[in-house]
Amino acid sequence: MQRIHLNLGRALESRDQELKEIPEFAINYAGSLGAKYSEVRIQKDTSNATIIKNGEPQFSGFLRELGLGIRLIINGALGFASTNELDKTSIAETILSAASMARASANTLRRPILLSNAKASKAEWEVKEKRKLSSVGVEDKLKLLLDTDKSFNIKGGPKFPARILSLSETVTEKIYLNSEGTHILSRIPRVAFSFMVTAYSPSKGTAQRFNKKGESGGWEAVSSWNVPTFASEEAEILASVLTKGKRPPKGDLDVVLGSEVVGIVCHESCGHPFEADRVLGREAAAAGESFVKVETLGVRLGSEHITIVDDPTIPDSYGHYLYDDEGIRASRRELIKNGIVNTLLHNRETAAELGIESNASARAVAYNREPIIRMSNTYLESGDHNFHELIEPISTGVYIKSFMEWNIDDRRFNQRYVGLEAYLIRNGELKHLVRNPVLEITTPRLFMSVDAVGKDIAFSAATCGKGDPQQGAPVWTGGAELRLRHVQLGWA
Amino acid sequence: MSSSGGLKMLARALAASVVREGQRGGADDVAAICTTEDVKMIRFSNNQVTVAKAWRSSAVSVMLAMKKKVVIGSIEDLSRGSIMKSTDYLLKMAKATRPNRDYVKLPRGPFKYAIFQPSLRSIQSSNLVEHVKSTICSATSCGAKRVAGALLFRNVSTTLETSASAFGEDTISSLEISVRAFADGDASGHANSCARVEKDFHPEEAGKMAAEIAKKAMNPVEGKPGRYDVVLGPNVFANLVNDVMSAASAFNVDAGLSFLANMLGKKVASTEVTLIDDGTLPDGLNSRIFDDEGIPTRRTVVIDNGTLRSYLHNSSTAKKFKSSTTANAGWIVPQPWNIVVEGGQADDETLLGELDDGIYITNNWYTRFQDYRAGDFSTVCRDGLFRVEGGEITQPLKGLRISENLPRLLKNVSALSKRRQWIKWWEVEIPTLTPHVLVRDVNLTRATK
Repeated sequence: MQRIHLNLGRALESRDQELKEIPEFAINYAGSLGAKYSEVRIQKDTSNATIIKNGEPQFSGFLRELGLGIRLIINGALGFASTNELDKTSIAETILSAASMARASANTLRRPILLSNAKASKAEWEVKEKRKLSSVGVEDKLKLLLDTDKSFNIKGGPKFPARILSLSETVTEKIYLNSEGTHILSRIPRVAFSFMVTAYSPSKGTAQRFNKKGESGGWEAVSSWNVPTFASEEAEILASVLTKGKRPPKGDLDVVLGSEVVGIVCHESCGHPFEADRVLGREAAAAGESFVKVETLGVRLGSEHITIVDDPTIPDSYGHYLYDDEGIRASRRELIKNGIVNTLLHNRETAAELGIESNASARAVAYNREPIIRMSNTYLESGDHNFHELIEPISTGVYIKSFMEWNIDDRRFNQRYVGLEAYLIRNGELKHLVRNPVLEITTPRLFMSVDAVGKDIAFSAATCGKGDPQQGAPVWTGGAELRLRHVQLGWA
Repeated sequence: MSSSGGLKMLARALAASVVREGQRGGADDVAAICTTEDVKMIRFSNNQVTVAKAWRSSAVSVMLAMKKKVVIGSIEDLSRGSIMKSTDYLLKMAKATRPNRDYVKLPRGPFKYAIFQPSLRSIQSSNLVEHVKSTICSATSCGAKRVAGALLFRNVSTTLETSASAFGEDTISSLEISVRAFADGDASGHANSCARVEKDFHPEEAGKMAAEIAKKAMNPVEGKPGRYDVVLGPNVFANLVNDVMSAASAFNVDAGLSFLANMLGKKVASTEVTLIDDGTLPDGLNSRIFDDEGIPTRRTVVIDNGTLRSYLHNSSTAKKFKSSTTANAGWIVPQPWNIVVEGGQADDETLLGELDDGIYITNNWYTRFQDYRAGDFSTVCRDGLFRVEGGEITQPLKGLRISENLPRLLKNVSALSKRRQWIKWWEVEIPTLTPHVLVRDVNLTRATK
């Protein structure tokens, strides 16, 4: 494997001898305190962001984080500690703190915390920037945002009195080491563009839209989005939704969901309930549990058209990684295969509890956060219908292409999606726009009602929230469009 | 690890050097905030500790303005080289960017700040574990089969220095516990306790309360959608008024993300509702003696007996709205400190007694808006959810969601309880002191199976 160049590595090498020895020192010190297992992650996050509001630059800013997180198992209990004071004395005290808290909690355990077996790995991986992020100055970013802001102006159409646009980038560098001999170096740049705008018409009121693009890579990703054109299209759609949208039909109907909505469905109703830490109750207090149980593996949850995948290895994806934060090689996971519950998302702790191996789902978003089970890029596999074939047999129905409001209960069973761009389907053809159609449905009903899936896959970028403290993880959500038969549709 | 005295000296030195270097580089305004956090958290589930966490960090946040061009940096790599490099980088950014015409100069100090009573500064790990054990024990002895939660201890020291001669130092610490008890698969209850001093911290009571709700919630039936009079527990109203206060931030008003736009002096809630932001409360978990511009924090009545009296401002938003700062900076976005809902006259039981055929909602999560400007939202009922008939709880329910319009809901507030409770947990970011609240004619929906 080609040696990668970490600014983090250079930063450590450029300091004194003591800093170079930090990772090994930390592992050895944890061992000397009686840790049966320990892992050290030194992580540097370098972020830049530029934000404008209503055509006015608000601020440009940056975030520089560099610190060390250590996780250890001592007396069967798990401890995590972090510091950004990178001297041996501070690090030793950090490790001591993790060890003493773990020791103190050990006598609450009915059985010790175990990790699944894992082969020691030594690897270096990175995502290249074809056009370096550092080659684009703040003035260029600001100009792009201000030019894009002009897209929210439609002659003779509704006004866009409130607009927030932002461009951001983060380069994450990690050195990971554990007491089993795994040693991973990584570097991943990510870029994102997002906006939140309000369209207003005196007679129609307001309509709002948030949307986001995000990828791993360099400035070439931003160039490929053609941001002003993207914004211009979004403005036209939002204006039409506001001015032309009519009340949708209500009742037992057929519904076609666009990729954006399918993506949030896959994320909320499949990805989250398939996180094994939820299934086993570890997230019960905050993020919640799951309607999926260990016994649900092998059980039918959806029609044969439903295959939902979580895949961190998709090149250039926002949720991309090649090794997780426990040093396990990443792979594609089929969560639901042809409607059958196939596998959960695991880290080494949950895998050990089920007597299997981890499938590399542990992610930590900063040096001071413990790795927990996260999604990466979660999507519905494609089917064999083109869009015309999806809507053709529908006599009366609704095509929900995008959404704003959504939520789901903490067992991931009872969900609601309120459409933004949505159209009436009448006799197999798309008709006029409809406003705020509401799909409020249980997960099994939703997945069992699918009778056809589209050919084309599209993704949206999102930030997934989970953990206590919260960890916002970059992910893609997406998939192919799908058709639901005989579901209850309402309107807000 | 540096001693607390050493860290204080380091924070002072860092703040001063950042301000000095910024001015030397041509900035008109520089504000630096050094924060040192010492945090311990114990997470538990299935009646045992799942992980014990400790994190300690020092960070410098810098706001620098040059001819109204505003740049902000946050640096957690505190080597001297990194700080200087970052300050240089900020100056270069400021030169390259364009002016924010809304920006006004930092307020001129020095300011005189209040002195808070010191709260607990540190706590032994073993004491935290004992709190967790007693919480689990308390819940299980009241009928919970499984208990989960998180106990958090925070000690945060903040040093602020600005080029406009503001200088302040503040330290605050707190204990929080969030407990969720399960009596069976579908029956859960949630409670929390949070305090600035250990004597006001009651984790066992939180465990007991969570278990009692969970027990009452056993064998729920599917709730029927419809319009109901409801009693919202403190968890629910705290979650909703966090969104109201976000809508009161002048930045969000200007950004079109507020249903409170153009409503100053007008009725935005029933006369029962008085909503206050207060950064000065001795028992407020988020109190601070100065805001991010150095202005001494204060008490701001946002909604007074139903009438919108004030937005939350920093100096720049205040000028734009032809008002005065409310000491809620946020350099860009004004933020509430602690939210206080004034209590009413009723006992909790009296409120339930008002429900002939209504619903008692003890907790919620996942509040999302279709349109922030209009205030259309929904939120999912969570944990104990009860049918109330003739003033008595008659049946535990499940599967309902509040699907409403926030201004409408505020106008339909009919009564509030005397007793209030501090709420802060995963779904309530800003600490909120709130009573139980009776709201008339609330739309509840449910999913189709």
